[in-house]
Amino acid sequence: MNGHLAAGDWDDRYHHIDQILNNPGPRTDPSFMAGDEVKDFLRNKCKVLVIGAGGLGCEILANLALSGFKDIHVIDMDTIDISNLNRQFLFRPKDVGKPKALVAAEFIMNRVPGVKVTPYYGKIQDKDDAYYMQFTLVVCGLDSVEARRWINATLVNLVDPDLPESLKPLIDGGTEGFKGQARVILPTVSSCYECSLEMLNKPTAFPICTIANTPRLPEHCIEWASVLEWPRVHTDKKLDTDDPEHIGWLFSVASARAKEFNIEGVTWSLTQGVVKNIIPAIASTNAIIAASCCNEAFKIATSSAAFLNNYFMLIGTEGVYSYTFEHEKRKDCPVCGGESLDLKINKEWTVDRLIELLVEKQDIQIKKPSLSTPTKQIYFQAPPQLEEATRPNLEKKVSELVDEGGEVTVTASSLPFNLSLRISYI
Amino acid sequence: MSVTESQDIEQATSAMHSAPDNKTRRYDRQLRLWAASGQAALESSRILVLSASATSTSILKNLVLPGIGHFTLLDDEQVKPSDAGNNFFLDGFSSIGKNRAQEALPLLKELNDSVDGEAVTKSVKELLSTDEGKKWIKGFSLVIAHNLKKGELEQLSNLLWEDLNDPPLIVVRSAGFLADFYIQFHEQCIIEPHSDTAPSLRITKPFPALQKWADETDFSKLDPTEHAHVPFVIILIKAADHWRKEHNGDLPKTYDEKKQFKAYVRSLQTKIDEENFEEAEAQAVRIWGAAETPVPSEVKALFSLPSLTSPNQTDSNEAFHALLQTLKKFVEDPEGPGRLPLTSTLPDMKTDTESYVKLQKLYREWSGVESARFKTLLQQTYPTLEIDPAMVDSFIKNVHHIRLLRGRKYGTWETNVDSVKETLSYMGKEVGTHLVLNALEELLSKDEEVTSEKVIEHVKSFLGPDVELPEEVEAAAGEVARAPTADLPNTAAFLGGMIAQESIKIITKQYVPVNGYCVVDLIDSWTGNIGAP
Repeated sequence: MNGHLAAGDWDDRYHHIDQILNNPGPRTDPSFMAGDEVKDFLRNKCKVLVIGAGGLGCEILANLALSGFKDIHVIDMDTIDISNLNRQFLFRPKDVGKPKALVAAEFIMNRVPGVKVTPYYGKIQDKDDAYYMQFTLVVCGLDSVEARRWINATLVNLVDPDLPESLKPLIDGGTEGFKGQARVILPTVSSCYECSLEMLNKPTAFPICTIANTPRLPEHCIEWASVLEWPRVHTDKKLDTDDPEHIGWLFSVASARAKEFNIEGVTWSLTQGVVKNIIPAIASTNAIIAASCCNEAFKIATSSAAFLNNYFMLIGTEGVYSYTFEHEKRKDCPVCGGESLDLKINKEWTVDRLIELLVEKQDIQIKKPSLSTPTKQIYFQAPPQLEEATRPNLEKKVSELVDEGGEVTVTASSLPFNLSLRISYI
Repeated sequence: MSVTESQDIEQATSAMHSAPDNKTRRYDRQLRLWAASGQAALESSRILVLSASATSTSILKNLVLPGIGHFTLLDDEQVKPSDAGNNFFLDGFSSIGKNRAQEALPLLKELNDSVDGEAVTKSVKELLSTDEGKKWIKGFSLVIAHNLKKGELEQLSNLLWEDLNDPPLIVVRSAGFLADFYIQFHEQCIIEPHSDTAPSLRITKPFPALQKWADETDFSKLDPTEHAHVPFVIILIKAADHWRKEHNGDLPKTYDEKKQFKAYVRSLQTKIDEENFEEAEAQAVRIWGAAETPVPSEVKALFSLPSLTSPNQTDSNEAFHALLQTLKKFVEDPEGPGRLPLTSTLPDMKTDTESYVKLQKLYREWSGVESARFKTLLQQTYPTLEIDPAMVDSFIKNVHHIRLLRGRKYGTWETNVDSVKETLSYMGKEVGTHLVLNALEELLSKDEEVTSEKVIEHVKSFLGPDVELPEEVEAAAGEVARAPTADLPNTAAFLGGMIAQESIKIITKQYVPVNGYCVVDLIDSWTGNIGAP
């Protein structure tokens, strides 16, 4: 920075970081521009996007700001809840109900002078390609698989081989209790989020017949209240799991059922946990994973040291166990693979059964898929006229509509990609 | 049931039966991990943190948020311009020149109103030089030190190793992308490690009511609905009994026998959609797996472990050791089951409500019987010992998972150079990085210039001339020479999470802390454990 201090800076402010930026280390790539050049890029030119201003997001924003990133954007669609305060350290009780992105941005700008944080209170899906194109890299601290798949596919689609700057490194963190992971995704180059979908834990789903006929656990009674009783009793009111009155209703209905079947253990906390699918979350795990993400962002932005290739997994329940490995790209990944996915199904299967499989299969998990072949429409979820016209196909056998080895294209409105299946029969 | 008893139950459960209060709501996401008992332990803890560095305040942030009782931040230095640049818990430029601990204090306290905090502007050296200061340090429940000078660190670790009940000490060192930490403790007794392993269901040695149920179950006389709902526990007990009859009282041992046993279980299925038999086949592994081992070897090993003794002091883990010795008596009692006390919690299984509830009741009742037997033994063996009944219940409930860790004084590992050398040969980067941090500590304490060569020289002189250094040592040495005093924000945040996490485990006595050194490299993004006793 040639001796000039930017607004809000003071001499020796970056004494710690500059020890890294002034000199290469033994493992530093030769492309590292030690000294003023890298500092100028980091502090004056680099623009980063943070997705999520929650448990990971608060930590990410603070780390990036202290690391010297000065132009930070943050997107979050949530407002602050009291249960966030045990870890989302930029929020105070007086902030409950306010948008996370706004409060977090304000806090960071007050605490770390000279850093500009631009918040957006809304959904990532509201933004277009031109918006995402402006950033050097994207750091993600999300709790939703759906949102991760969306941003991942969007950044892969953004890559133009003739335009190197169109490749936006995506750094993704996630935590659950004492466990977490951080990973670096170079869209189209390394394994993407979709490539690793099958690594996700399967959500606990209770069979409907257990819930309806043979409840054994308190969870079964709670599911009965929320899945079967709520829609039956409140025909036109949607269940709002953030509304204490709704939770209260479910709790009393579940308790009554538990009493009838001599099942113990229905509590308010369990009711809330089951219907909201609450994942335990603590400050410390979020701090570790967010630090790892920001450390990678810093190394990528500065080339001061090699960055993670490409997956860091942490389990903190028994000692500190971590595993760093390279997750492999999937050739048949619907987002970055290019090859179609081979799917063997029973010759007798109906289209409806195939759709069920697409929803459930661990490496696919597409909610509300629409199906077509190059020559015909098999089933479309929308618009209503098309849905109606293709609905009779649901009962037909797939083998009547698709030849052996035939291609089926699967789309879903929630995901910006097409999955191409090659069907064969057993 | 007496009137008072029913009132107690009502009071105890009323909290669970209505919308939670604000405190429970605030801590909801963590209470699901360590429950009210863990929270209570956190709230009664007093933590001393030495220095208000970026790493130290990061650690404290992650302890104040979940709600420890009290913290003291000790630092006699003034905020330098570089501190104001890398520490989130200083107020930027305006903090420069003021005391570091005092400046950080309000910004940490505002994270959680229910946490008490204090800034002390003395130096560690000053405290360690007086008896009063030493006593004051020992009054905390945990002491955490970041990048403390070598001499002071040695004094401190000696001080906190004197007595069994001295607070554990966490030593944290970092430079640039590299770091390590060590927890010095005498003993950590863990009743709730939250392990995933399944406790025994007594399938190979059923208690009387369970055996009776199995004996009275005749598959051929059940109607199709009943047949499809026999719990897997009953199916496996019957199958094991059948097998024993045909194999001189033995259970399946070889791979082939296990396969045959599974096939036999599956052959009992009369209709393809009977999920209970499928489940029984899948759960057959319990019979020969660790789950049905009469007394797991790790637990047995604890029986012969002498408790630590210290002159003029009662061991704070006295109760745990009494419970262990009672457990030994329990499993060796010829009148008893010859096994660990029965679990009262049943996993879910494919069956109807009535059978499940009935089975659950049987387990609960028999677990009550064995629990009473255990308590009688405890009372007989330790008639004068005062012990929290909740602890006894928790011990019995978690008896399949209990853990005990014995620690060592900080630096003990390095006194055995051969052990270090041997570990270096197969954990080059972990040991190498640790030794490089040792060398750095030494050089900094002598105010010497830190160069890669000097660091290597130091490592070599420690290991002796005949040792060939793996290349990772050079890589680590170059890194500390590059940034010998850098407390990087991301490294600080990473350690802040790790050390807070380990502190929570130590304080709550839940989950299992690291024993030995945990080494961290944030260039290649790995962590490793070395030097465990």
